[in-house]
Amino acid sequence: MNAKQQAVADRIADYLSENLRLPRENITYDIPLFGDGIGLDSVDSLEIIAGMDLLFGVSLIGAHDAVFRDIRTLSEYIVNNPDFKENIQ
Amino acid sequence: MNDKVVITGLGLICAIGGSADECFDNALAGKVGIKEVESVEHSACYAHIGGENNEFVTPDGEDRASALCVKAAKEAVADSGLDVSAAPSRVSVVIGSCVGGAVSIEKFYRDYVADPASAKGEDVLKMPISAIANNVALAFGAQGAVDNVANACAAGTMSISIAADLIRSGKADAVIAGGSDPMSSLAFSGFHALHALDSEPCRPFNKSKGIALGEGAGVLIVESYEHAKARGAKIYCEVLGSGVSSDAHHITAPSPDGEGMQAAMERSLANSGISAADVDYINAHGTGTPLNDSSELGAMLRVFGSEGKVSCSTTKSMVGHCLGAAGSVEAVMCVKAIERGMVPPTVGYTEEDIALMREKAGDFDFVPNKGKARGVEYVQSNNYAFGGNNASIIYAKEGAPRKLAQPNGERVFVTGFGIVSPLGNTAEQYAENVNSGASAARCGNCGDYISSVGKEDFDSVGIKLNFYRKLDKLSQMTCVSGKRALANAGIEVTDDNSKKIGIVAGTSDGPQTDIANFQKGIIEHGTQTGSAFLFPNTVYNAAPGYFSIAAGVKGYNVTLSNGAASGIAATAFASRVLRTTQNEAILAIGADEDSETVHMLYEKTGAIAAGMTPGDGAVTVVLERGSSADKRGAKKYAEVLGSGFAHCPSEFGRYGCADKLKEAISLALAESGVSAEDIGIVMTCSNGIKELSDAENAALADFAGAEKVNVRALCGECRAASGALGIAHAAMMLSGDIKGGRGDYALVLGASVGGSYNALVLKKA
Repeated sequence: MNAKQQAVADRIADYLSENLRLPRENITYDIPLFGDGIGLDSVDSLEIIAGMDLLFGVSLIGAHDAVFRDIRTLSEYIVNNPDFKENIQ
Repeated sequence: MNDKVVITGLGLICAIGGSADECFDNALAGKVGIKEVESVEHSACYAHIGGENNEFVTPDGEDRASALCVKAAKEAVADSGLDVSAAPSRVSVVIGSCVGGAVSIEKFYRDYVADPASAKGEDVLKMPISAIANNVALAFGAQGAVDNVANACAAGTMSISIAADLIRSGKADAVIAGGSDPMSSLAFSGFHALHALDSEPCRPFNKSKGIALGEGAGVLIVESYEHAKARGAKIYCEVLGSGVSSDAHHITAPSPDGEGMQAAMERSLANSGISAADVDYINAHGTGTPLNDSSELGAMLRVFGSEGKVSCSTTKSMVGHCLGAAGSVEAVMCVKAIERGMVPPTVGYTEEDIALMREKAGDFDFVPNKGKARGVEYVQSNNYAFGGNNASIIYAKEGAPRKLAQPNGERVFVTGFGIVSPLGNTAEQYAENVNSGASAARCGNCGDYISSVGKEDFDSVGIKLNFYRKLDKLSQMTCVSGKRALANAGIEVTDDNSKKIGIVAGTSDGPQTDIANFQKGIIEHGTQTGSAFLFPNTVYNAAPGYFSIAAGVKGYNVTLSNGAASGIAATAFASRVLRTTQNEAILAIGADEDSETVHMLYEKTGAIAAGMTPGDGAVTVVLERGSSADKRGAKKYAEVLGSGFAHCPSEFGRYGCADKLKEAISLALAESGVSAEDIGIVMTCSNGIKELSDAENAALADFAGAEKVNVRALCGECRAASGALGIAHAAMMLSGDIKGGRGDYALVLGASVGGSYNALVLKKA
């Protein structure tokens, strides 16, 4: 992970902690967000989609499930997206 | 026995008209009232339509939910010819709502975000659902039981069921019943966040991708047959039985198997003594979301078959989804269908759609596009809500054969408690702290009395992080209190008993903190940015909904909201439900939360300056039929004997009329068959506000010999939680678990701003 992606990954982790009321220490880059990991559900995924749009200008609508696997895959997708904007918020 | 309950008046306002006749005529013609929404900013949203009534302008200084409701109520009262002033104590008001004063909530937080000092206390008093029924009672001078039903999208149907129940239990002769909800940024943004809005007018059961929101109010005069007959009233139809169930599946989505929906439908038929084959018309919930429509269609096909004998439509395809008003808007449509022998259509079906529907549902008749004439003797109306709450009710032509389920004649006992309070998080801890004279936890800065639940509480009741992280404080306290109450009563929820355990919750202010969080978010960032995570928590029945999921209880599930007395109303009403339904145990819950937001709201209204100290908590009282408690060998703390309700029509925010508390007490004593001298314990309801203390002192003149206990002096004004705590505390005094008990009978008092007074009598078991 380069510095840019890492900054995005940390921002996503903070966002999930704040908006999905998860203990921040539980959210590592590689813990699966759904299923046996953190155990997020469909309503949480809507919150993630909305948050990534709000924070980085990137739409995740229609993105493949693999993108949502963990913070690493999410941040990778975001920094490589042509719509990606740093520091919208 | 007064079991014949009739409808004698109708009032309706929604997207397709301003009166019951206008709306029904337009519905028969298939007129669609769904168009671009004007009252909510939606430019950056993916959907832009809804069913508003733009002709109805909210009068200055009023809240839209109350104003819509009073308008429909005026039509209904005039239509029925009911003279409320002839016997005001015998006229009740029961109104359902989902978002309540959401338009005033938006106004308040717009002001607040701009400058906290500019947000007004008068707007705070327009925010809670509680205000609506109180404003209706004030408009007509009704002085019987007044309450609101806060079960989101099922509230409008439940309110009519509860109204019929008030009459059958002899507590009212007539009830102004219905539901009201406005178009609001709160609901629009929330359903948008859940991707549950359709960008085109919805076509339920067809190709619909979501709902179209609506707004409106439906009000019906529900009256005892004898009363209606004696005054020569026009009788539209009879209200028969109803069925209420809980999915215990998911906070927003229905259970895909439609089992809970089916249970509600089957119970309304059984409680009416009719069969599925008798039903001529179903007004379906049919919101247009793929999840609702597939679960509901499956359930209907299982109950009614696909032969096409019954006609089924969803008027939401024309008026939109009016949320807490939906069931009452649809009730008016159902009553009109019986009166006219005409059923309204489901619109938006093309020839191709109709062919596809035939593949899916055989000859099941969705009444496509235009209303039609047919014999209509029995009608079923169904609504389902967030929290997994399902409600079904039957209306029938007067004189059509029916056999209503009769009360089971059982006694009702208190068999357990779950107490989350500023004096401890279990019933045992609370009793120990009271007995030792310990003082309650308070907030250092603000002085409020504070409950707190944490990881150790959730661990001890077996609720995991994945679940509890989603909960607001109100839901957290409710889940812990409810689970501990089941454990305290020794009830294990199993497949065998889960449908016989229900919930009646009471809350004064509901989830005001997450409502504020959600609303402030969309004010700052736009309607399109509503939080899908927070939105489910903004409905008042979310807390008991989450609890039903955590505990797996699938029986009755109703949330009442009428100020601080709601905890007592919940217990009184739950006792009645135990005597008239399949439920063997009901968890009566009183819960209200405190937070910086809630403290600020009470500062704005002036209640804190007037002497009230807020507190919070959740108290669950397990009520159980005698036969069930005996079978389990359960410990009985007390018996619930009777209750009384009286209302002083007053401006919302005030208490008013000291004599009404006295009237509630007299009614409760009379129903219990005891006199004032028999009462050894009185749980008082004063909270530091002089107007209420004066009313209470005057009402208690006859109870000089009784031990007086005020849980608000111990734990602050925890509102509905204080009401339920008063009952738990009194029951534990009668059983000897809390010291200082006297005599065999306790009287528990409750008062709500807006002028509602409740009293409940407990007897040593």
